[in-house]
Amino acid sequence: MIKKETELLDEIKSKYKLEGKIQKERRICISITKNNLIAILKELKNLGFIHLSSISVTDWLDEGNYEITYHLWSYDDKILFTVKTKISRDKPEIQSVTPIWEENAQIHERELHELFGVNFKNNTDLSPLFLEDWDGPPPFRKDFNWREYVKENYYDINNKRETVYYD
Amino acid sequence: MVKRSKKAKTMRKLIKAIWIFNWFNSCGFAELVPLVGSRWDMERFGMIIVGTPRHADVLFIAGYQTLKSIKRAKRVYEQMAEPKVIIALGSCTMTGGMYWDSYNTIKRLDDYLPVTMYIPGCPPRPEAVFEACEKIFQHVKELE
Repeated sequence: MIKKETELLDEIKSKYKLEGKIQKERRICISITKNNLIAILKELKNLGFIHLSSISVTDWLDEGNYEITYHLWSYDDKILFTVKTKISRDKPEIQSVTPIWEENAQIHERELHELFGVNFKNNTDLSPLFLEDWDGPPPFRKDFNWREYVKENYYDINNKRETVYYD
Repeated sequence: MVKRSKKAKTMRKLIKAIWIFNWFNSCGFAELVPLVGSRWDMERFGMIIVGTPRHADVLFIAGYQTLKSIKRAKRVYEQMAEPKVIIALGSCTMTGGMYWDSYNTIKRLDDYLPVTMYIPGCPPRPEAVFEACEKIFQHVKELE
């Protein structure tokens, strides 16, 4: 049943040094270093993974890493390919995939730039999507205490109606 | 015949037919669709939803407003012709509602726009919306 999956994984594994496994039928997951990112994603696109479903960031606070995940879908083989890579949390920088997927990747990268502060190199437009006048830290970082931020910026401790938020 | 002030005369024109412009974020309108539907049917009272703020007398604001959308709401309000009324629906506009600790939604709408009337509820019942409009009618009728 998982013949195609094994073929695909072996093909990628033969060219690059990486960890990967077949999670189950039609699900492949690999972890790579960020230097290989563009090469591997280009390769995968040529193998039929033309749809970039989403890009996501996981904030591993204890490790000090961001884990960036690319979800790729192949319409021919009906396989979901997950590519994971880790970058430093303090200076989050990674190559943009807009040269490969163009507009499809653009919207994801803009969002992750404003929510996590990840800097996507070669992306031409990283202007804010939702947070137009935002001056605080990237709000989805785990060390950002938004309750404190809200108390400071939106509520008034002297307002009788709102003292309840300061208990 | 009662002699009315200029303001009262203008306001009386307003309540002949309340034309509404909706500025709804998130679930705001989804919950108030019955107002337009056949059961509550607000058109019975001359209330109708118009396509542009320039035609509207009343601005309905519902749902949470983000820092981005409140700027647009202000522009919508500025485009409306006098006399204009803002009715804020739902708990989100009063206190932030379930988004009370969100970093990106405003907490009190009256910090940004002159709200005439708040309708509580999450969401408000259609009857509550009618009651609010009824109160506007009463208020206008009492003007001299």
